[in-house]
Amino acid sequence: MRRILSSVRDGVGFDILLVSLTMIFLFALAGMPLVYNVMMSFQEVDMFNLGTFWRPFVGLENYQAVLSQPEFGLVMKNTAFFVFGSIAGQFSLGFLLAIFFMAKFPFASTIRGVFLVSWVMPGLVVGALWGWILAGDFGVLNAILKSLGIIDSTLFWKSDPSLSIWAVTMANIWLGLAFNMMLLSVGLAAIPRDVYEAAELDGANAFQRFTSITVPMMRATIGAVLALGLIYTLQQFDLFPAITEGGPANSSSVAQYWAWQRSFVLFDFAKGATISMMMLIFVFIASVVYVASTRHEVRE
Amino acid sequence: MKIVTLPRLMLVLAIVLAAIYLFPLYWMYVTSLKGQSEIFANPPTFWPRDPDFSIFPETWERRHVGMFLGNSLVIGTGVTALTVLLGTGCAYVLARYRSAWIDVGLFTILMLQVLPASVMITPLYVGFNQLGLLNYPRTAVVLAASAKAIPFYIVLVRATFMNVPRELEEAALVDGNSRWGAFFFVVLPLARNGVLVLAILTFMQAFGEYIYSKSIITTQAYQPASVGLSGFLGPNSTDWNGIMAYAAMYVTPIVAIFVILQRRIVAGLTSGALK
Repeated sequence: MRRILSSVRDGVGFDILLVSLTMIFLFALAGMPLVYNVMMSFQEVDMFNLGTFWRPFVGLENYQAVLSQPEFGLVMKNTAFFVFGSIAGQFSLGFLLAIFFMAKFPFASTIRGVFLVSWVMPGLVVGALWGWILAGDFGVLNAILKSLGIIDSTLFWKSDPSLSIWAVTMANIWLGLAFNMMLLSVGLAAIPRDVYEAAELDGANAFQRFTSITVPMMRATIGAVLALGLIYTLQQFDLFPAITEGGPANSSSVAQYWAWQRSFVLFDFAKGATISMMMLIFVFIASVVYVASTRHEVRE
Repeated sequence: MKIVTLPRLMLVLAIVLAAIYLFPLYWMYVTSLKGQSEIFANPPTFWPRDPDFSIFPETWERRHVGMFLGNSLVIGTGVTALTVLLGTGCAYVLARYRSAWIDVGLFTILMLQVLPASVMITPLYVGFNQLGLLNYPRTAVVLAASAKAIPFYIVLVRATFMNVPRELEEAALVDGNSRWGAFFFVVLPLARNGVLVLAILTFMQAFGEYIYSKSIITTQAYQPASVGLSGFLGPNSTDWNGIMAYAAMYVTPIVAIFVILQRRIVAGLTSGALK
């Protein structure tokens, strides 16, 4: 007993204590729920057996039921659109801005930092702002597009089934753009200046310098940013209730919102858990890419 | 000649880009100051004709903004306290050693960081229901949101601890400090700035938390501001100046803190996020 106490005070016991407290907490509130989620996806869950662990085992019935939902295909299509649209927009615009802000001019880093305000705002507030900007008859985006002559009739971003997924995707691009830019800036700053100078002396033009120096040297950063983009996009939830509520007729519903609706609007917890399980597969693929591209630091 | 003007031109362009990007924020404040009829003017006015500040006290009263913000404060403080308490020590140990076990720990934490809240809420809700925790809804939200915040916090705070020279801690141990003494009086003060910035960032995130609160807290008196806002926000909203006034009161403290600490927040984030 005394040996343990003295180890906690002066030795490795101190480290073990600090790590294990956190790990126990995370195990209880993240590990266990994850296992429980797997369990529920194979069970029949209703309002009567919600209070017990041992519910009827139904095998893959929940998975079959989810796959045969009429809106399943639409929701998957929307999720793919939302994820790839968001990542493409955030990454390309973020990269352009990051390159722009690498230039030397007064206040460059301060102005760049201001962009990050979008990332600290509550998601629901961002959703409210975009819900108002995208409003059909009185939204400012339509007014701007009209005065620029890009569109001539009012676009109903939130209530037109063919546009509603664009509405949430645009809002999400705005939300994540700054974070992408910031991470890419870090990667760009790590490339030694003299490599560019040498290439310039050798007669490489700006485009050649970009494709033969910037992109290859940023490979790890780009991998990490894209993987983080996938992870964060699949985590994005707040914009949906704020802007479209997944509607009209599920035309802007994505997997994470659909899963939540199953559990907390229809109280069908088993299907909510089942959709979550399907999503987790994608999340884990992204995590493997993310960890692989950051491995050099972890192993160090 | 060219050398003098180019940076100026870039500066102007940068300000224009920032203005376009921050337009939604500007639009929120402008809309909240417009009267009911001016909101629906076509074409919209980009500066309120007759700025009217009475919407703020009115919305504060009518939408119980004070009560909701109080709950957000309780949840934000709870999550931050728990995260700092549990995360700081763990991050320190993970920064201090290099071994296969540390790799396993880091990998586990990275994996936990990626779990979407929308996935975790279903099992957490059913589990909390069985444990009776739903009777203490704000505590339940603090527990759930902390589990989400801690992995992110550890990854970034660990980067801060990596910058503290090992020699200083070893010197303190040689001088007869216990591990506790060396940690609290030498290492922690040196990492103070990083820890503080990330605690503030954790607080900001928890202050805007929505999905756990929406699912777990059913009594209005305990709901945070995000859930309060969602109560009158949706695809068919019309009370836009009320919504924008509410949003402005909710988000202005966060924006103010961000602007003041911008440099440090950006540095704290970029030091660890990619590593």
